[in-house]
Amino acid sequence: MSKLKKSRGIEELKSRYGFMFVLPWIIGLVMFFLYPLIQSIVYSFSDVAVSPGGVDIKFVGLKHYIEILKVDQNYTTELTTSLTSIVYSLPIILILSLVLAMMLNQKFRGRIFFRALYFLPVIIATGQVMKLVFETTDDSLTEMGVSGGMASGMITVEDLTGMLNMSTEVAKFITTTINDIFNLIWSCGIQIVLYLSGLQSIPATLYEASRVEGATKWEEFWFITFPMLSRITLLVGVFTMVELFINERTPLVERVYGSMLTGQYDKPSAMIWLYFIIVSAIMGVIIFLFNRFVMKRYEA
Amino acid sequence: MNIFERIKRYFQDKRGKKSAVKRYTRSTAGNITLVLFLVLGGLFSMLPLIYCVSTSFKPLDELLIFPPRFLVHRPTIGNYTILPDLMASLKVPLSRYVFNSVVISFFTTFIYIYVALMAAYSISKGTFKGRNAIFWTVQFALMFNAYTLAVPQYLIFSKLGLIDTYWIYILPPMASTMGVFLGKQYIEGYVPDALLEAAKIDGANQFKVFWSIVMPTIKPIWLTLLLFTFRDIWSAVPSGKIFSEQLKILPQVVTQITAGGVARSGSAMAVTVIMMIPPILVFLVSQSSVAESMSSAGIKE
Repeated sequence: MSKLKKSRGIEELKSRYGFMFVLPWIIGLVMFFLYPLIQSIVYSFSDVAVSPGGVDIKFVGLKHYIEILKVDQNYTTELTTSLTSIVYSLPIILILSLVLAMMLNQKFRGRIFFRALYFLPVIIATGQVMKLVFETTDDSLTEMGVSGGMASGMITVEDLTGMLNMSTEVAKFITTTINDIFNLIWSCGIQIVLYLSGLQSIPATLYEASRVEGATKWEEFWFITFPMLSRITLLVGVFTMVELFINERTPLVERVYGSMLTGQYDKPSAMIWLYFIIVSAIMGVIIFLFNRFVMKRYEA
Repeated sequence: MNIFERIKRYFQDKRGKKSAVKRYTRSTAGNITLVLFLVLGGLFSMLPLIYCVSTSFKPLDELLIFPPRFLVHRPTIGNYTILPDLMASLKVPLSRYVFNSVVISFFTTFIYIYVALMAAYSISKGTFKGRNAIFWTVQFALMFNAYTLAVPQYLIFSKLGLIDTYWIYILPPMASTMGVFLGKQYIEGYVPDALLEAAKIDGANQFKVFWSIVMPTIKPIWLTLLLFTFRDIWSAVPSGKIFSEQLKILPQVVTQITAGGVARSGSAMAVTVIMMIPPILVFLVSQSSVAESMSSAGIKE
């Protein structure tokens, strides 16, 4: 009996310790994430006016949400562009990063160097420094009459037509393709790392057995590599979707942030929440379907 | 003959004569194509970096050329040597900005790693109530972009009187959930309960267990966090929250130089190139660990 009591004491102590360990982080989370989050939900349902002493909030119900959908024409187009761009970028990014990961997984000299090379954009791409790079180049280019960001200004149409005597259409096609490839490779950094670790976790004996059975490389891929990577593919897919939906260069997110900077909080909050709900619903459906059909088939 | 016998025989062959293995490796031509492909892709991923470096060496007349040239023709180090003069016009010496940047980045990164991993340890191994609720919040928060919360965050700062203090840099990263998420997944996968029990039997208290048992075991995680957190804080610009010149950090100096227009874009690039060096150094230190810790996120659901 006394033993039981004692062990409960230890448990209690453990749980108190446990909570103590989470506490510093929880305080940060509540102050700088949860509280602002709840505030922004409140904003989306109210009229917000900024005054010197703080903000005045007046509850208006669903007004902003209805306005967004009925009055604001840009919102629905922005929403559909974001959603359709996912439809084609997601598979391309998944396939490209898988192919690159499989290449980087081969044994050859200098593969560590190449792995670092493909991960480097992740380190320098985000953050203010790179944003500055994009902006400065962007500004100087628009000043000179070339539209588009750094990616599209890197190799200009004029460059190609001037140097190689190409027709404008062909040159335009080439520049856009190059810029697309560039953008794609830049969004593959973390995906490649995830796929690489997935590839390395496949037991080598599976490949050896299949070789003995006389499988071709093609069959090896479809019957071993692909199924063994299904879980990692789900992870990579979800990660990519989050990146694509929520990155600050999405037109919708850009506009919301822009209008928040000018001091308008209520309607942008509603915009972002509606977007977030739709996005989560789509991701939920994809994850559900994936679990239902793909995982079941291979894990059974 | 079943598959296992075949595998056995295959291994016997392999031990017997090396040629059996060699048949399955690629030819030299295959190797060359592979490397060529990777070099091509690698060039694409390096384009902006190359552009930055090359622009930073451009003399003034090449900066003004239309359309802008990708590569520099007559490289000069003028953009770098002019930097001290440009800095001289700043209100506080450059060393102050460098000091701010370095101290804030490292201090915040280490505090965050400690706080986040302590939380991760306790969520994965602790027994208190609400652990699952906390972990759900973590996963939910991963989907959020900080931009949407910028305004309410600003109001909190101003209410607490933190505007225009160092706290602006240090506090917001503490709410980041990525460290807790990766840490929890990794600790569950790689830190066995038996190890913790053994340490406790030897008389270590929880802090001791965390510091001398858990932390060394999860080295890949804190190296990964070091990379990502350092990267974010190093390049952050807290717009509208810092006004005193002596509290500003390097990215803000870059902004000031950029404001000089096209003629100054070479110098702006030069500063940018210098700014890129520390994150790349941190990356070189932590590189091997990144893959390991990222993959652990996928081990469990």
